[in-house]
Amino acid sequence: MAQNNFDRRRINGPEESFPPVFEGEDDIPDTLSGKPRAGRNPGDIRPIFLKAGLISQANGSAYIETARTKIACAVYGPRQSKTTVYSENGRLNVEVKFTPFSCTRRRAPIRDAEDRSVAAQIQQALLPAVRLDLLPKSTIDIFVTIIENDGIEGCIASGSVAASAALADAGIEMLGLVMSCAASTLGKEIWLDPTEKEAQAASGSLILAGMPALDTITSVWQSGRMTPAQAIQCMEVCQERFVDIHSIVAQALLDNAQVT
Amino acid sequence: MASASTSLSKAEKSYIHSSLCSSPPLRADGRSLFDFRTVLLETGVAPLANGSAKLNIGKQPHEGGGGTEVVAATKLEVEDIENGDGVEGGRIICSVICSPSAYPHLSSNALDELQYDLTTILHQTLSDSSLHPPNLGILPNKKSWLLCIDVAVLADAGNVFDAIFMASRAALWDTKVPRTRPIEYQARGLAPSGAADVEMDTESGQQAQKSSFDTRDMIKTAADFELPDYWDEGEVLGGREQWPVCVTLNILPPMHYLDATPSEEASTPLRLLLAFSFPPDSPAVLQAMRLLGPGELTVAQLKAFTADGEKYARELFAALEGKLREEDLRRNVKARDRFAAR
Repeated sequence: MAQNNFDRRRINGPEESFPPVFEGEDDIPDTLSGKPRAGRNPGDIRPIFLKAGLISQANGSAYIETARTKIACAVYGPRQSKTTVYSENGRLNVEVKFTPFSCTRRRAPIRDAEDRSVAAQIQQALLPAVRLDLLPKSTIDIFVTIIENDGIEGCIASGSVAASAALADAGIEMLGLVMSCAASTLGKEIWLDPTEKEAQAASGSLILAGMPALDTITSVWQSGRMTPAQAIQCMEVCQERFVDIHSIVAQALLDNAQVT
Repeated sequence: MASASTSLSKAEKSYIHSSLCSSPPLRADGRSLFDFRTVLLETGVAPLANGSAKLNIGKQPHEGGGGTEVVAATKLEVEDIENGDGVEGGRIICSVICSPSAYPHLSSNALDELQYDLTTILHQTLSDSSLHPPNLGILPNKKSWLLCIDVAVLADAGNVFDAIFMASRAALWDTKVPRTRPIEYQARGLAPSGAADVEMDTESGQQAQKSSFDTRDMIKTAADFELPDYWDEGEVLGGREQWPVCVTLNILPPMHYLDATPSEEASTPLRLLLAFSFPPDSPAVLQAMRLLGPGELTVAQLKAFTADGEKYARELFAALEGKLREEDLRRNVKARDRFAAR
């Protein structure tokens, strides 16, 4: 009998399980270097579907879908802080959950370090934009649920956009809508909005978040190997894309406002 | 991000801001904007670890203590590739633990979160495939090394990121990988089946008897390995010139400064972390960049900060490298001389 990892609250599946291997999956080439990008241009992002106001129980919500990344976001707040410590500025609390079926290998429902790192980055992206100084003693809770995951960079970028739309839907005052975009360097090229396979094959990745309305950056995350010049180039290309994503989000928010 | 902060009143914050922005800029301990406090480094502090280092930034000599103290140690474990989590060529795992004595005012949940955040930054930067050392495999497809880098923050007096990366680099520099020899057990008397990939010198006319001590081709078929010399610490971990150094730029637009004390960190929470690697004969490469804290920047500002950060990182790298070589000398050459002369 397994004494460890025995989750008493749920009906447990078998101890060891493997994802099925589908016929024809080995035909997908593993190495992407040297080949031109499959399906789109290096500077193209995948088409975004964004709808606000899906979760009626929450103060604000948004659902975003880009190819194989699907994220739902709900905002509750501003509501009274549970802690008794007086804080002059409001608190922004972001919680991210990966559903067990979101990745190729089943994830345990328990929160782990990867959830926390995604949450920390989304919080970093949104923190400078929300007017927390107008909400003393309050907390804004943002709950992000990742329904399908196609690469962590994509999750963080789409999650930030969804959270921003949900905050706007909740009527919380912000300095501007926060947009986010990921880029990967493969060889000499810069590919925007990489899928999981592309990001793994890349030598370096960069996620940029900023407010296109004010032309400022709120969060930069870079990992892997890149020359500083390449990093700056990635940032400039991402910033150009912000304007496009912003128009999509603004349109979705307008559509939702007209319906209600 | 949950981080330790001393509580400062608005008046104190404003005081620190205006003195940093004044000309000439003033800091509480009289340093210039780009001066580091004294950094003390010692390698080989954990004899049971494969490599270790202790680093202290800003120790007060007359008080006998203080400063940001960090201990980093690397440990190598053997992993099975087929049955376990091993990966061909070995893998690296980093973790940071924060001693509760370093952050007495944080609850255990907040301390856990701080540990997660520091661990994520360190792990994402150091376990990248571009920095992967070449000598972490043991037997191809069978066994490999797992390199665990553990960093313990014992005291935090500001600038903990730089300390963690410097200590990790020092511990990795100090790491020795034990030499292994593949072995195969063969029952006595069995003739080798087929001469397929036996590249032996054949005696003229006769097929030479395969000796069970001949290990030349054994690495392909070997099932296990042994340490030829139990007391030998091993060879140095490959790729040691590439491990990155991190420099934290504390930003108070439009200016920035380095090596903040806790009150300075509390008054200017916006920070840019830059981890640069300086491979020999190549231009500098960026291994990690993070913007932390409430505040916004433009791309032009980021460009300028990145260029400045590279300069500071280069100086830090050169100083650290000099000290590491000196430590190597102290522990190996000079120790041997002292022993021989006793």
